[in-house]
Amino acid sequence: MSQAPLAQPKPDWSRLVSDSLKQNGVWHTWYKLVEARTAYPDDLALRGYSEIVRSAIVRDLLQHPKGMQAVLKLSPEFLTNFDRFNLNAQEGYLVSLIDGRLDLQKLVLLSPFDQFTTLFILAKLAYERAITVPQ
Amino acid sequence: MNDMNKRYVIAERLNIPIAIVGETGEVRWNNSAFEETFGDDAKHWLKESARAVAGERGWLHGFFLDADEHRSTDVEIEGRTYRIDRIGNPSDFEEGAVGLSFEDVTRQREMEQAKSDFTSMIVHDLRGPLSGIQGTLEFVLSQEGTRLDPMYTDLLQEAQRESERMMNLINELLDFSKIQSGNFTVEGEPVRVAGVLKRAVRSLQSVAARDEIFLLNAHGRDVPQIIGSVEKLTQAIINLISNSLKFTPKRGLISVGAQIVRNGELPESIVITVTDTGMGIKAQELLQVWEKYKQSGNKSLRGGGGTGLGLYIVKQIVEAHGGEVSVASIEGVGTSMVLKLPVKRAA
Repeated sequence: MSQAPLAQPKPDWSRLVSDSLKQNGVWHTWYKLVEARTAYPDDLALRGYSEIVRSAIVRDLLQHPKGMQAVLKLSPEFLTNFDRFNLNAQEGYLVSLIDGRLDLQKLVLLSPFDQFTTLFILAKLAYERAITVPQ
Repeated sequence: MNDMNKRYVIAERLNIPIAIVGETGEVRWNNSAFEETFGDDAKHWLKESARAVAGERGWLHGFFLDADEHRSTDVEIEGRTYRIDRIGNPSDFEEGAVGLSFEDVTRQREMEQAKSDFTSMIVHDLRGPLSGIQGTLEFVLSQEGTRLDPMYTDLLQEAQRESERMMNLINELLDFSKIQSGNFTVEGEPVRVAGVLKRAVRSLQSVAARDEIFLLNAHGRDVPQIIGSVEKLTQAIINLISNSLKFTPKRGLISVGAQIVRNGELPESIVITVTDTGMGIKAQELLQVWEKYKQSGNKSLRGGGGTGLGLYIVKQIVEAHGGEVSVASIEGVGTSMVLKLPVKRAA
């Protein structure tokens, strides 16, 4: 006689994510959530927690004193050591738009991706120090 | 004492009128409450009810059918309304007879009618003038040539905010009334989900800008169509964004996203998220957010309370589309409301 598979108990995402944010910061938590999504593909709440962390990341980028008027520049490290950065197609496209004159507002308008995705990719590029957002 | 005798003993002790009635309307047995409520007249109208009226069989006939939909009916008896319920199945009491209970719902029906009248009053007598007030405020505030003292501008903007809030409350009450009366249905039209999300974001963009909140689209154009109601889904997303606007501080962010869940190559469902970087919801309140009259223990940053019906209405809309809802929240970090909608294809 076959046995019904045991339901996988759902982790307490609220506590886990909250603790991880305090201890490891947004980016480490984000990468952990990406891994968790593979293990729990049908968990709707988990998608919500991923979105909360993504939103916190984009919000931090927009907290720049100049907000959407902040101008992005390619970092010296990126210009001298391009190969270190393993960019995907989306990141590569956005990097190609950065000329030291366009601000976030204009980049969002020129980008083929949605507003939020564009800002998230730019935040990731800033975190990896491919670009800088001068004060 | 066998089961049938037990049923009679219990029926006699109950305060609601109960009668065992045969197919031709003859009363074979009744309890004391039935006698006190209807007296001998009942035997006459029960017989009448069994007869064919204008080519249709009387209401009593339905109770002899096994189908569940014939278990209850409302009948006017001598100026009052009675909800007649069948007790158990036909022949549970006697062969060829049914047990019927008679609940006087006259007052309940009057209350329902009063509620319905009140709803109509809200539609016609409150929404009309309020729309006029909103239009006037919008006109005055949009006149660039008009030089208004900044204090008056602030006061007019406050009046505009409050009138928007009042219109939302009225609309929520109307929707709730429809849900309660069972008149809440979803049309089966093709819905461009990306269009719905964009429209909802656009309609609240000025409110978000006024409160210095970034309100962003987080979805591409390749979101598949679903079958449902454009109007109701737009309303659900607007409810969620409005809710986020209440609890997100200045320079915070609200994103409206859509992800496609695939089964092989084909899209199976769409997961919509409305996420904010607001104050979050306490863990013990998370399970109750979709219940009616439940309001967050957190105080709205924009002032004023609500009906506590907004998220309940969202859940009803999503479930009417065959979907499900979920919520994620971390206190002090943010909240994400998650809606999953099946991708149904037109036949």
